Amino acid sequence: MRRRVWTWVGVIVVPMVVWAQTTPKLKPGDALPASVKDVKMLNVAGNQLSITDVRGPKGTLVIFSCNSCPWVKAWETRIAEIGNWAQKQGIGVIMINSNDPAKNPEDSYEVMQQRAKERGFEFPYVVDATSDVARAFGATHTPEFFLFDAKGTLVYTGALDDNARNPEAVKERYVKNAIEALLAGQPIPVAQTRSIGCTIKFREKT
Amino acid sequence: MRRVARLLGIVLVVGSATSARLGQTPRGERQAAPIIPVTAQELLNRVRDGKAQVTVVNLWATFCQPCVEEFPDLVRLERVYRDKGVRVFFVSTDFESELPAVRRFLQRHGVTYPTFLKAQDDDNAFITTLHPEWSGALPATFIYDARGRLRHFHEGKGDFALFERLVQDVLHNPNPQ
Repeated sequence: MRRRVWTWVGVIVVPMVVWAQTTPKLKPGDALPASVKDVKMLNVAGNQLSITDVRGPKGTLVIFSCNSCPWVKAWETRIAEIGNWAQKQGIGVIMINSNDPAKNPEDSYEVMQQRAKERGFEFPYVVDATSDVARAFGATHTPEFFLFDAKGTLVYTGALDDNARNPEAVKERYVKNAIEALLAGQPIPVAQTRSIGCTIKFREKT
Repeated sequence: MRRVARLLGIVLVVGSATSARLGQTPRGERQAAPIIPVTAQELLNRVRDGKAQVTVVNLWATFCQPCVEEFPDLVRLERVYRDKGVRVFFVSTDFESELPAVRRFLQRHGVTYPTFLKAQDDDNAFITTLHPEWSGALPATFIYDARGRLRHFHEGKGDFALFERLVQDVLHNPNPQ
């Protein structure tokens, strides 16, 4: 009897625990995750917004970011520029902080508000209060970009560009190139890239 | 003769004091081991140099909390398995401006052997050269056998028990089918 119980625990619980942290990353061609697209998240402006709320007529850019990661900080001026520019092109933009501030106080809501103001974000910067939105995307670190077309199909995922450290030496502006191609109805030149970053500090699964 | 011996003695004492001083930083710390800038390909070339039974490559950064937490376990792994032909290549992904912090961290953890600094700005190329399945998140640990074949890859924080198990697998199975 005891062995049967433990077998079921292994069959049901272990995969759930593994899923909690290791959902496969979305890849080009995948749809906006249905389980989280309508989840309301607290924005730095005080209102509640979901990804669906911010979807744009030409597409949607979802950015997983945070306040604390040196890679985010190195890219942040460029992130603000691309987000603000994308919105003007009809691409809905939302930046999501999935980090648990209990693990890193610099990722508090108050610091998010300060950062949004300092950097001039004209798009929402929201709190993923359970970290489940990041889990559903398979996001693993910050910053990470997910660009969806108007139908909600992923067309680009990965880094902002090819050089976090030196903006003057950037050769490939991956996200900008992908948005321009999307707007022009052209194939996305590079659909998937990787970058070093800081692991998302997931909240415990409830 | 006595004068020559006295002179020699003075020279020896002054000489050893000077060389000790050259090996010291102004605060009297031991000279840090080199931190070698590498691209991913240069790192793999070193992994494949045939000089170890097992090479553990750990990508870390001073600001990466899980990296910092697992670091002592990897230092211990190197110490315990060094005589069995296991080496650990610590590869910092800190920006170059953070090198002083990297050095201090390594010294604090007693790392007296050479380590590495990622010197390839194109992260995508660096990551995909090392492993197409690595998302880029830190820490990441790659375990290679004597022929430089990748035998295990672990993304995220590990601990001594995990790393030991993976290293022992390679030591006990040097030529898998």
